Amino acid sequence: MGFVSEIYACSMGPGLAGRVHPLSDLPRDTSERQWVCYQASIGSPAADTVGSHPGLKLIDYHNISPSELIERWMPHLGEEVRLGRRQLAELAPVAELGFADSEFNRAELEQAGCRHTMVAPLMVDTANFYSPPDQRVVDRFEAARLRGGHDWLFVGQMLPHKAHHDVIKALACARKMFDPEARLHLVGRESCRAYADALRRFVSALGLTGAVEFVGSISPSELSAYYASADVFVCCSDHEGFCVPLLEAMHHRLPIVAYGVTAVPETLLDAGIVLPSKSPALVAAAVQRVLTDHGLCDSLVAAGLRRSRSFTLEGARRAFARAIEQALQGA
Amino acid sequence: MTSEVVAEIVEQVNRLRATGQVPPGFEDDLDTCFEKVAEESLAADESMVAQGSGLGSGKTIGGAASRMRLAQLRQQATAVARRRCGPSLRRLERQAALATARAGEAVSIWTHVTVDHLERIAALSPRASRVLARARPGDSSVSAVATMYPTIEGPLLSWVLERLGAAAPEGGRGEPARVLHAECGDGRVVEALVARGFDARGADPRAPVRSDGDTRIVAAGALEYLGATLPGTVDGLLLTGVVDRLRPGGGRALAQLAARCLSPGGVVVLVSTRPEAVIAMDPVAADLAHGRPLHPVTWYHLLARYGLSVLATFEPDLSEPDVFAVSAQRLAPPQLAGRDSP
Repeated sequence: MGFVSEIYACSMGPGLAGRVHPLSDLPRDTSERQWVCYQASIGSPAADTVGSHPGLKLIDYHNISPSELIERWMPHLGEEVRLGRRQLAELAPVAELGFADSEFNRAELEQAGCRHTMVAPLMVDTANFYSPPDQRVVDRFEAARLRGGHDWLFVGQMLPHKAHHDVIKALACARKMFDPEARLHLVGRESCRAYADALRRFVSALGLTGAVEFVGSISPSELSAYYASADVFVCCSDHEGFCVPLLEAMHHRLPIVAYGVTAVPETLLDAGIVLPSKSPALVAAAVQRVLTDHGLCDSLVAAGLRRSRSFTLEGARRAFARAIEQALQGA
Repeated sequence: MTSEVVAEIVEQVNRLRATGQVPPGFEDDLDTCFEKVAEESLAADESMVAQGSGLGSGKTIGGAASRMRLAQLRQQATAVARRRCGPSLRRLERQAALATARAGEAVSIWTHVTVDHLERIAALSPRASRVLARARPGDSSVSAVATMYPTIEGPLLSWVLERLGAAAPEGGRGEPARVLHAECGDGRVVEALVARGFDARGADPRAPVRSDGDTRIVAAGALEYLGATLPGTVDGLLLTGVVDRLRPGGGRALAQLAARCLSPGGVVVLVSTRPEAVIAMDPVAADLAHGRPLHPVTWYHLLARYGLSVLATFEPDLSEPDVFAVSAQRLAPPQLAGRDSP
């Protein structure tokens, strides 16, 4: 597009040192026309830096989980997300334009006071979701399947607002009502010690120790194997700004049952069963329906594949470029 | 089509409930069970935070909590830190392994403070890593940490003294205000406070090396000392050093501890490094979520949560570009109206 573009960050991952500048080096020269695009999320000193910057401002909003879902378990994080919301409220009214990766996020941005907002698709490329499945994981699934029962999967950081506990409740219900050998695999980093501990205690108290696997962080090949081997993806999350794992599940031809809140319904569209509540019996019954109604399962998988293929990096880039052009014309 | 399916599923569940195939109370029992284990886990976690931060009664931490904490420390040694600060991290891991091996015995809080220092410093900065590498193995943390604390001098020192000057003894009891400087370093602020008529004390784990027999300064980690301080007995509290290396949840514990120690009307002053300054020290700062300095606004909320009212903020300026400070006061309880009051 012919722009000079640089990335500035408070912190950065390995391998980015040559490509990303420290935030303290952000130029504040007003002699040139300068745009600053802030990736808004949890509270950050970067928001203050951007807020006081003389350049024109763009916000790319990835949503901030509400503190009330978090602070019981992680009061310090609760404070930080509250800070993030407050910083957003300060930044949004002075931004020329706000991008969001879902309509849900866009509406929040608008509510925060951003004058011009638009949805720009998430920069994900579903073609990158594929890795050769780890055969050891596949073999483990097959061995377990000899005992009967279906395999449920949920992928997401072990954080309270992801509501792993509600998936466990649904599993307990399903084992009692429909599928006594059903198993659940929880993939994702344990990011909250107390919550992870509670989940383990919960599983033990319900007598589900052999039925629930706490997988933790895994390699792309292992993740592929979990998606390839599971029978259904179950999401009871209370808050999602987009939910990339839903897209991954679609890509891996996994039928989805999800609680329909925040951005989940618009990410799924018709590619999953979107439930109005997540009472354990309802989730269990929905999973059972998907697993036994093969016509329904096939149509969900087909819709999922169509949906996931609509997310390409090239498409997202084009949409983003269009949005930037519009912003420049309007400024 | 899916909305019709959902309607059918809802109807099916209603039937299952009506016919008792979903046993009555079963779903409520699941909720109750989770609430119970949640409370247990939160209580256990709270206890770990409290113990690890010196909120507990003892000067020692032992057994399972130590093992869990040390295991957590090892996990926090990120891949980036491992590559960039390999020798220091390996030393950290050796220390953690040693402490874990001793966890059957009591492990002193000093061990934790040391490991915290090592973890934080090694993860954040190659400069600090070099300091660590130069330091003798026996006291590496002491040498390294000495270079990391924000110094209090010039306009910041004047501001701190002014803020603490508002710490009047409770009820005008006619005694000098009692002020504690937690992690006081070489004790120069304590001396300045004494010169202004305060009953000032300091606590610092490096005190045996530096105090030269000065009994006003005791050898103790800040949190350890505060944890052992009787509630409501300190009129002024100055927190430095420790504020910069709190692990997740540590800020809450420290704010709670400060509120507990302060007498009504007492003032706490907290001096910390700007998060941006830490980042500028090394742009490839590994996993700042652990042990990073907190944002001033986060401190406002934490202090307010424990009943402290924020009074003033020292903004970074040319004299102290990397440091901010916050002062807050424990409000005196409102006077009850007397019987004869109008």
